[in-house]
Amino acid sequence: MSSKNGDKVTLTIDGREVTVPKGITVLEAARSIGIDIPTFCWHPKLKSVGACRICYVEIAKMPKLAVSCATEVMPGMVVHTESEKVRQGRRAVLEFILLNHPLDCPTCDKGGECDLQDHTFAHGIDDSRFDFAKYRFIRDKKSTFDDFRLGPEIIRNQNRCILCYKCVRANKEVFGEYDIGAFQRGNSTEIDAAPGQEIDSIYSGNLVEICPVGALTNTDWRYKIRVWKTQTANSVCQFCADGCNLMLWKDRDRIYRATSRCNDGIDEGWICDRGRYGYQVTDAGGRLTTPLIKRGERQEPATWDEAVALIARRFKEIKDKKGGVCIGGLVYPGLDSASLYAFSKLFRTVLSSNNVDFRTDYKMLPEKKDDLYTLMTLQKFSIADIEKADLVLVIGSDLINEHPITNLRVRKAVTRNGAKLYTLNPFATKSGDISVDEMIHEVGTIEALINGICISIIEQKLAPSGPDTSRFTAMIEPNRLEDASRLSGIEDKRIISLAKALGAANNISLITGELLTTAIARENIAAAILNLAILAGIPGQGQIGFLSKYANSKGAERLGVMPHLDSRKISRLKDLWGEYPEHEGMGADRLILSAKKEEIDSILVIGCDPLSCYPDGQFVREGIEKLDFLVVADLFETRTTQAADVVLPLSSVAESAGSFVNLEGKVQQFDRAIKPIGQTLPGYEICNLIASELKGPLYDSMKALQEETVKLLEAGDTPELDPVFHEVKLAVEKPDGDYNVPLYVVDQLHHFGHLTEKSQSLSAFCNEARLEISPSLAERLHATNGTLIRIESEVGKVILPVFISENVDNEVALVYRNFSATPVNVLQMRKRRVDYVKLTRVEEK
Amino acid sequence: MILNEQSIAEIREKMVKYPRRKSAILPALTVAYRQIGHLNEDLYGEISKIIEIPVVEIAEAASFYTMFPKHPVGKYLIQVCHNISCALLGADGLVRYLEKKLEIRKGETTPDNLFTLITVECLGSCSTAPMMQINDRYYENLTREKVDTILDELRKQA
Amino acid sequence: MEKRVLFKHIDDPEQVTVKGYVSNGGYRAWEKALKSMKPADVIDEVKRSGLRGRGGAGFPAGLKWSFVPKGSPRPSYLICNADESEPGTCKDRELMECDPHGVIEGIAIAAYAIGSHISFIYIRGEFGGPIRAMERAIEEAYAKGYLGRNIFGSGYDLELIAHTGGGAYICGEETALLNSLEGERGMSRIRPPFPAVEGLYACPTVVNNVETLSTVPHIINNGAAWYTSMGTEKSPGTKIFSLSGHVNKPANYELELGTPLSYLINDLGGGISGGHRLKAIIPGGSSTPFLLPGQIETPLDYESLTEAGSMLGSGGVIVVHDKTCIVWVIERLIHFYRHESCGKCTPCREGTGWLEQLISRIERGEGTPGDLEKIDSICDNIMGRTICPLGDAAVMPIQSTLRLFRDEWQYHIDHKSCLVKSEFEFA
Ligand SMILES: Cc1cc2nc3c(=O)[nH]c(=O)nc-3n(C[C@H](O)[C@H](O)[C@H](O)COP(=O)(O)O)c2cc1C
Ligand code: SF4
Ligand code: FES
Repeated sequence: MSSKNGDKVTLTIDGREVTVPKGITVLEAARSIGIDIPTFCWHPKLKSVGACRICYVEIAKMPKLAVSCATEVMPGMVVHTESEKVRQGRRAVLEFILLNHPLDCPTCDKGGECDLQDHTFAHGIDDSRFDFAKYRFIRDKKSTFDDFRLGPEIIRNQNRCILCYKCVRANKEVFGEYDIGAFQRGNSTEIDAAPGQEIDSIYSGNLVEICPVGALTNTDWRYKIRVWKTQTANSVCQFCADGCNLMLWKDRDRIYRATSRCNDGIDEGWICDRGRYGYQVTDAGGRLTTPLIKRGERQEPATWDEAVALIARRFKEIKDKKGGVCIGGLVYPGLDSASLYAFSKLFRTVLSSNNVDFRTDYKMLPEKKDDLYTLMTLQKFSIADIEKADLVLVIGSDLINEHPITNLRVRKAVTRNGAKLYTLNPFATKSGDISVDEMIHEVGTIEALINGICISIIEQKLAPSGPDTSRFTAMIEPNRLEDASRLSGIEDKRIISLAKALGAANNISLITGELLTTAIARENIAAAILNLAILAGIPGQGQIGFLSKYANSKGAERLGVMPHLDSRKISRLKDLWGEYPEHEGMGADRLILSAKKEEIDSILVIGCDPLSCYPDGQFVREGIEKLDFLVVADLFETRTTQAADVVLPLSSVAESAGSFVNLEGKVQQFDRAIKPIGQTLPGYEICNLIASELKGPLYDSMKALQEETVKLLEAGDTPELDPVFHEVKLAVEKPDGDYNVPLYVVDQLHHFGHLTEKSQSLSAFCNEARLEISPSLAERLHATNGTLIRIESEVGKVILPVFISENVDNEVALVYRNFSATPVNVLQMRKRRVDYVKLTRVEEK
Repeated sequence: MILNEQSIAEIREKMVKYPRRKSAILPALTVAYRQIGHLNEDLYGEISKIIEIPVVEIAEAASFYTMFPKHPVGKYLIQVCHNISCALLGADGLVRYLEKKLEIRKGETTPDNLFTLITVECLGSCSTAPMMQINDRYYENLTREKVDTILDELRKQA
Repeated sequence: MEKRVLFKHIDDPEQVTVKGYVSNGGYRAWEKALKSMKPADVIDEVKRSGLRGRGGAGFPAGLKWSFVPKGSPRPSYLICNADESEPGTCKDRELMECDPHGVIEGIAIAAYAIGSHISFIYIRGEFGGPIRAMERAIEEAYAKGYLGRNIFGSGYDLELIAHTGGGAYICGEETALLNSLEGERGMSRIRPPFPAVEGLYACPTVVNNVETLSTVPHIINNGAAWYTSMGTEKSPGTKIFSLSGHVNKPANYELELGTPLSYLINDLGGGISGGHRLKAIIPGGSSTPFLLPGQIETPLDYESLTEAGSMLGSGGVIVVHDKTCIVWVIERLIHFYRHESCGKCTPCREGTGWLEQLISRIERGEGTPGDLEKIDSICDNIMGRTICPLGDAAVMPIQSTLRLFRDEWQYHIDHKSCLVKSEFEFA
């Protein structure tokens, strides 16, 4: 009966013959044909430990019951999953687990979705032979229900814990975090936070999600609603470009929580806490619910009709008098695709303006289309393929902060599959803990370092045979290894050994992120990266991943929400619309500069807050103040809405269906979870209302809009990387006198952009802007956590409390950009590649 | 730092012997225990820094092993084996005898901080029962008389 | 008659020093193995000797060594299990304290046989004396070139690291030992993969008991045939038995396997102490089922003891006289197993706790009708259902006494007191 052909195994489960891949477990084989075996300690993404023993099966010729989660399939195996012996074995395990497990299901938040409850029910256990008092762990006598807080969002009830160890295992194995552990031993074993620590990693919510019982719960969900009263809606996370799939749990028009909706291609069932608790933004207090019109000094409530009529009238005046080129638009790349598309269409077909941009918090952008940068960002890339790499090279990304879930895939490649990780960053990041070499280069010298690697690949004769390297060094600056090494501050032997590793690797994932791509000089940096990719032989054996920043940055790019588009894209749009403005458009930076010079009269802003976020706060303010007419749509009041003549209430992601394009270029649809709060409207409807008033609707039906959008999105190009090298110029800046600490404006680990501060749970992790510095810099400043520091740049200053990070270990200042109380953009200089600041202690009086 | 230079050096020395650093956790705990007489979270933190392993891993391991007291104990930690071979030869009586002599109960420390009395599982001294361990020395084939002498001597030494 | 092979020089105080050891013929086997035998020859010789593991399971040592994959790119490790914690067993302690070089020589030969260049001896943390003796001996062995680089000019290098435990019986179980040695909590691992394929640091690893390894040099010196001339056909050679409990002369005795239990207890051990009568024998350490006085002629070898319903185990023979309450004995044992359960798998972690609660209430005179059936069924639900054999170890003695001493258990429940009042005081 048994056959073994190649890497397949045939066996019999409950009388059914099944052929499955070799090496999988009996449990997986059974599940593949729809036979469900109960589990507690097993998790598809963790190594099997065979601890809980609930997954027993009977295997012919084996005297003992076998744990199916840890038994590999063998040819000819005859497995019984429901025999009397099996059921007896499972009942015995359940009896053991229930000995000291409180039967507090009525007040337990896991009730209704508890594996223990379900398996007990399925095995018909309604009585216990245990006639002793149940053991009760009480740590904090003050709390009710034996609850104990382990972190901002995690509550533990040790009585309910069944010691499956999934929380501890996932934390170490998958997340690389060390804030939770199992302590004591035997039946005294306890799950607890690490000594003196809280469980506050960016992955903490997953621990709650994988706990099979109500031992770990989060304050977000507890005691709010019973799970069986909720319905779910499919969603996609909006708090970075990874595109993790979420499920929103709602009842009527309130959302109660977000959980993972496992997508193996992207998130593998893990989501970060930003994604998990960010949904709270939707029904946080203080949403804008009606349009507002400025009358005198005050913004007063108005109807949509009034607001739209006013906008249309003013736009028309400006357009008629000076032309549509005097109107500009800034839009948040975290809006759904249809809204981004409608925004662009409104400007280009109704206002005849190319002045649209989604890059509102990037440093000064080039005033033409950037070819090499675009070539780099368009390369084909897949998160799942990172696993195939034997070498991962991260250039310019604080992965865990910027892309928490892609970070997990890199970790998996390294810790599970043995890939080598190299990181090149201006400051130390968490990835350093698993890197072969963490190269912390001098700020603003990344091209020099990359050039160095390229040079040593050639010198070591490791370059692939195709491209002609003879003239390569003549095209780049610096072009000697020693200069590259000196400038970047990385010893030449480290550069050489990375070159060798690249030469030896068979599959490379080269990943670049935000630290480079939102910066000045990105064309130059992109050139260096592309040179390196060619020399490392990536075309054909690996991939280049540009990790775009926002949930729909990729969509915005594909939809052309930028002033300068290439000719292919322009002709595509022309075909679609029958028209396209002739003039050269302005990007975000020039738009504001022109406003300052009074060459621009009006700006429409949807979903972003340039006054708080766009580099060089003072510059932005001066520009915005000169405008004749400012229209701003957002979820909440911001500095920019405060300056507006008309404010429009914008719907949140949960309030309308749509799609995002993640950093891989995957278009992912999400459902509407609840109906819009107040009179809010999604972006595309706002654009359509304005267009209708001025010229006519942008689309006939939602369906038509969706179709147009999707058509453009799917026309995404993935150009081949030709074996040609590009010129790299040197653009290193030196610090200036007193201003000598490099500044990076970053997202706080638990926050993203300007919305998440509204989430109560995320605010419990961090609710204020801080200055994050290394322990050594803190020591030099005589600062401890919380010490106030004055941060001054040539253009602005702020005072922030210190947060000492064990990760950062050189002299840089990281400041969080997520908190409206402290706009840190005032420190940034729009024309400088690196902002240098001066730090001084604020002396207490 | 609670750990003295000698302990730190010893931990460092052990650390490099193993193919992987993490293996040095138990040896490091042993060194710390020998110096301090018990273990606590501050020590886990120090060990974590020396061997560069997250503190949770040190604490998890330490809590698993019952040989290391987690609270301060007397100068002499008296551990009476109460497992079967010793019990058959009067280990329970030995404990009672010690309780009477030291005027403390099992689990307690004498007011002068000299003696702590606890019972432990089989110490591998079954053929020389009853026995007790005081710090890292074994005292076997015990009788009342022997116990008297041992305690007297320790008092004198202290 | 005692047959001293391992214990041949046990009374010689000089045996602990390298000088004394060498003058008694030590390290000749190591030299012979390195100079004139290939690793495969060593394995072969040990295989032919029929030497079986002395740590408890009795698995043939040579066979275990042969499971280590040949030509694996990963290093392999030899670990000497010196965590001796099984109640009733104290032989490894004596070997280490009185003949540490014998242990080292055994480790070295076994390491060579499996191609290991780094080996470990995992010594029980409480063992102050043996730790000092082993550490001193290792230092001497390095100094004399029996360990370290290029041993006997053969080009073979061997490091031996003494690693001490922290007080956990479970760390004697080989997979828990591996975790402990890796710096993890000492919890057992599921098998497969077996340590020989994926052990320490996921590399091929052999774990052997102190006594097993100490026997190896004698086999190399004298040949497999000499070894098989002792003992029985299936249990060749000699074995050290730790005799403890109610006998007049408790001690470690080395006997040919197959020697009757009565010879150990009566002839060597001087009979039952205090003028009492024999009530029960635990023959192989506290994890093995009890034997009755009528079984005292059982030969001490693997097969005979299994046939008698028990096991040879680690050779810890615990003798119990008739003024001993069996429920009290079992309470002691279950307390131990509950305390030592690592807590990884459900049946062992929860089951031992429940058993301890039930048994101690019976012992206190608070048992209720049905408790015995309950205990029996809990034991059934643990036996063979745990990750490592600690679960089995906990329940085997209990179930055997439920069968052999049922009346005593029942009496405890019915009369809320012991049928037999334990009579032993601390003198
Ligand atoms: C709970 C438990 C405790 C054990 N303790 C020891 C021990 O202290 N010493 C020992 O050598 N083997 C012990 N063993 C047996 C080991 O797992 C392993 O089988 C043995 O070390 C192999 O060596 P051997 O083949 O030389 O006997 C124990 C097994 C179990 C299940
Ligand atoms: S807290 Fe939950 S996930 Fe963690 S061990 Fe206990 S039951 Fe398992
Ligand atoms: S699911 Fe298999 S043992 Fe827990």
